[in-house]
Amino acid sequence: MNFKTTQAHEEFRAKVRAFAETEVKPIAFLMDKDNLFPEDVVKKMAEMGLMGLPYPKEYGGAGLDVMSYAIAVEELSRVDGGTGVILSAHTSLGTWPIFAFGTEEQKQKYLVPLAKGEKIGAFGLTEPNAGSDSGGTETTAVLKGDHYVLNGGKIFITNAPKADTYVVFAVTTPDIGTRGISAFIVEKGWKGFDFGDHYDKMGIRSSTTAELMFNDVMVPKENLLGKEGDGFKIAMATLDGGRIGIAAQALGIAQGANDAAVEYAKERVQFGKPIAFQQAISFKLADMATKLRCARMLVYSAAELKEHHEPYAMEAAMAKMYASDIALEVTNDALQIHGGAGFMKGMEVERAFRDAKITTIYEGTNEIQRVVIASHILGKPPKSEGGSSSRPKKPAPITGVRKRHIFRDGTPEEQVAELVAHLKKDGHDFTVGIPMDTPIAQAERVVSAGQGIGTKENMKLIEALAQAAGAAVGSSRPVAETLKYVPLDRYVGMSGQKFTGNLYIACGISGAVQHLKGIKDASTIVAINKNAGAPIFKNCDYGIVGDVNVILPLLAAALDTGEKEPAPPMVKMKRPIPPKPEPIGKRYVCGGCGYEYVPELGDENGEIAPGTLFEKLPEDWVCPECAESKDMFIEA
Amino acid sequence: MYCVRKVTDDLYWVGANDHRLHLFENIHPIPRGVSYNAYLLLDEQTALFDTVDWSACRQLLENLEHLLAGRPLDYLVINHMEPDHGASIEEILLRWPQVKIVSTEKSFMLMRQFGFHVDSHELITVKEGDSQSFGKHQVTFVAAPMVHWPEAMVSFDTTAGVLFSADAFGSFGALDGKLFADEVNFDRDWLDDARRYLTNIVGKYGPHVQLLLKKAGGILDQIKFICPLHGPVWRKDLMYFVDKYDKWSRYEPEEQGVLIAYASMYGNTEAAAQALAAKLCEKGMSNVWVYDVSNTHVSQLVSESFRLSHIVLASVTYNLGIYPVMHDYLLHLKALNLQNRTFAIIENGSWAVKSGDLMQNFVNNEMKNMTVINERLSLASALNESKATELELLADGILDSMAQKET
Repeated sequence: MNFKTTQAHEEFRAKVRAFAETEVKPIAFLMDKDNLFPEDVVKKMAEMGLMGLPYPKEYGGAGLDVMSYAIAVEELSRVDGGTGVILSAHTSLGTWPIFAFGTEEQKQKYLVPLAKGEKIGAFGLTEPNAGSDSGGTETTAVLKGDHYVLNGGKIFITNAPKADTYVVFAVTTPDIGTRGISAFIVEKGWKGFDFGDHYDKMGIRSSTTAELMFNDVMVPKENLLGKEGDGFKIAMATLDGGRIGIAAQALGIAQGANDAAVEYAKERVQFGKPIAFQQAISFKLADMATKLRCARMLVYSAAELKEHHEPYAMEAAMAKMYASDIALEVTNDALQIHGGAGFMKGMEVERAFRDAKITTIYEGTNEIQRVVIASHILGKPPKSEGGSSSRPKKPAPITGVRKRHIFRDGTPEEQVAELVAHLKKDGHDFTVGIPMDTPIAQAERVVSAGQGIGTKENMKLIEALAQAAGAAVGSSRPVAETLKYVPLDRYVGMSGQKFTGNLYIACGISGAVQHLKGIKDASTIVAINKNAGAPIFKNCDYGIVGDVNVILPLLAAALDTGEKEPAPPMVKMKRPIPPKPEPIGKRYVCGGCGYEYVPELGDENGEIAPGTLFEKLPEDWVCPECAESKDMFIEA
Repeated sequence: MYCVRKVTDDLYWVGANDHRLHLFENIHPIPRGVSYNAYLLLDEQTALFDTVDWSACRQLLENLEHLLAGRPLDYLVINHMEPDHGASIEEILLRWPQVKIVSTEKSFMLMRQFGFHVDSHELITVKEGDSQSFGKHQVTFVAAPMVHWPEAMVSFDTTAGVLFSADAFGSFGALDGKLFADEVNFDRDWLDDARRYLTNIVGKYGPHVQLLLKKAGGILDQIKFICPLHGPVWRKDLMYFVDKYDKWSRYEPEEQGVLIAYASMYGNTEAAAQALAAKLCEKGMSNVWVYDVSNTHVSQLVSESFRLSHIVLASVTYNLGIYPVMHDYLLHLKALNLQNRTFAIIENGSWAVKSGDLMQNFVNNEMKNMTVINERLSLASALNESKATELELLADGILDSMAQKET
């Protein structure tokens, strides 16, 4: 960068500024007052080619650079912060992940209309329990045949419900933290995809913000963005770029307030001269201008790094953090310069003051930006104390990663109803069933009795439940071997029959290790047991703590649909193998001895912290085994 | 009495065969013996390319005396200093005090470490791209670090198109008169030993073999002969062997097929392994190879693991762990860097079955790019009727993973 934008950039800026001044400025007050989304303005932006600025022409974009995009957001925000973020969320968050991680088919189908501005994009990451820490994501996507079933919800989603295309993040492998998150492209209008009310916000009121609600939304498999488990990576990469947009927005808002303040200060006369020439005010204006210039340099240089495919994550975080921090200061000073007039509705600075606040909060709070920046300077802390959400919190139980959702609230009837609702939501169809004597290993469903079932009489409860659930009957080892309630070939366990079907309902089974090993491939495990401490509860997807005499009849009644249709051939609801962590970087092999440098491990004796990439090793680092220099290493 | 063969004009094989050695590197059995290849160039200057194991030194000397017929030996080119080739250096130096030694800097260091008195001779230290003229023949030297020692280089006679490839492209097996790969049925009689040699000796250094192959790729059309330090010389169908090397060093299987390696104390795990083999064949996958780890040498298991795409580990639980011989096999696979295989597991135990989880953890955590399929056959002491479906599912799981790999 020559610390100066090009003439082409300035011509482009003039074009966007003219558009903002003539099309947006006149309606900005009304949009703010009434929470109105500028439909016509967005249409015109599409016609001008503003909606796909940094994307190639072959995909419907304008083929311009990231700097042009930043300038567009800045200029729109200078007049109206809300309009600026419509463009920013659409371009950086809703469109970029598809551009960067989409397949050619996905690009043709989604990127092209987005870049042309025929469609509007949005990005769904934030949830009530997953803001800065996306490891807490609770929205789930379960693969069922050729589609995923999406359930859950997102909050504070910019451009919703106006947007047509949503990049949504959901957990595909539970309990392994961020590595279990995947990204999906979801279209407005799909069955089960609804919106909550438009939020009534303090600022940026012309941009719409709403809640997303997913209720059994069927997402075709081909709408998975990247691979399963790539979600966190995609989200973080997207936010890196999004920060440039927010930084540009903050810069624009502050610039607009600043320009209004300069104008006002030159007009307002006190003590015989314009207040601009009172030192108190002129010094303020000097400080404001300096901060703006500084922020602009940060924003543009981050944009330029991104354009040249150089690392820019830290610089984008710095730009976002600084530009938004000073946006609060500059709008505050601008309002102060306006005096009482600035406090009145209808004044641009009043609106800018409110609009600015969100920029220190969204797309990563400025506290998180500092975390990002510090991590680039310092690398990973030497030893992780306490929990990073990206790591599994606990070793997985014997049956693998399980939901462990225990229904505790309400009466037994309510608990059973909730259990049934969850099972149906997961895709278990109780209008079909299999014969009760289906061999365990071939059964799609099994209702199984443990010693907790009590007297032999109670096996009737098991049979009734099996009938109602369309399941085969099984048991634990003692029930077959010692109590002899069922034939020996019906006991489930590592030494007996293995159950590999979709639904296993364990009644009065405590969960001995050998039994649990026999059901570890079950897609869903339901536990019903009096003893809340029984190991089965750590190994189940759903559980009810209660007496089998009470719960089983209730469950049988709730599942009973009369005569069952014969079940179609089983479609296994596959449980994903927990994905292995992606390597953080390439391994290198020494040409002097064959030692392999593994970035995850670093080199303790050479005082190289774990997580150090080979490329980042100091030039004088030598092989710890044979002392050859770095240039003797080749890629493994 | 001398025993030499002409390779091409001016160039002779002056090595020796060894049927007396039981264990190569004192670890790998060599029932078909091994050859130590050395080559003599009779140009305006004379040059010996590498020497032989100490046990074969007398044969080398007789061969040299015969061919030199009174001429001095002017140069000794050492491509690889490992003692099965370098051990006779000192004897050459004593007999030809004027000989000049051509080798790499690291190689000279190793000679001194092994106690050879090289410093009373003229030493010509070469590095990548240097060349030396012996009269008609111009020889260029190319570094080949970690194939499979750090000092190794290969020499390329650009005049005759001869590549002295050091341990690369070598094989177990004595030549017994037949010098060229086209004089034997290599694919039938030699490939298994060539694979066992490469995978066990050089297996770990796949990336460095790839580097060497890349360098060779540039001059492939000029190479007429490949002269390795063990096994036959190549002068026809070079790409056949280069392709094999490419696969092995990229850790890609040669064939879609199943290796079933079992560890069985009383024959029950063995019976399960056999049942699986039969089941796979019944279902149409007959490229199935069953080995008892207790009486198959680990070098053979390693070699087969490099050949085939799928590996079934069938092991009893022993002292709450993996059967030691099976564990040793897994440690070898890890050390030799094998990658990109699909595993399935059969576990057995009479009171606490542990071997399956332990083997799965080893494969997942200690090795690279391996997949363990979900289906597993767990035995309580012995296979019986009630496990028929599990066996069926295991076989189907293996076949499914093959189908997935193909698409």
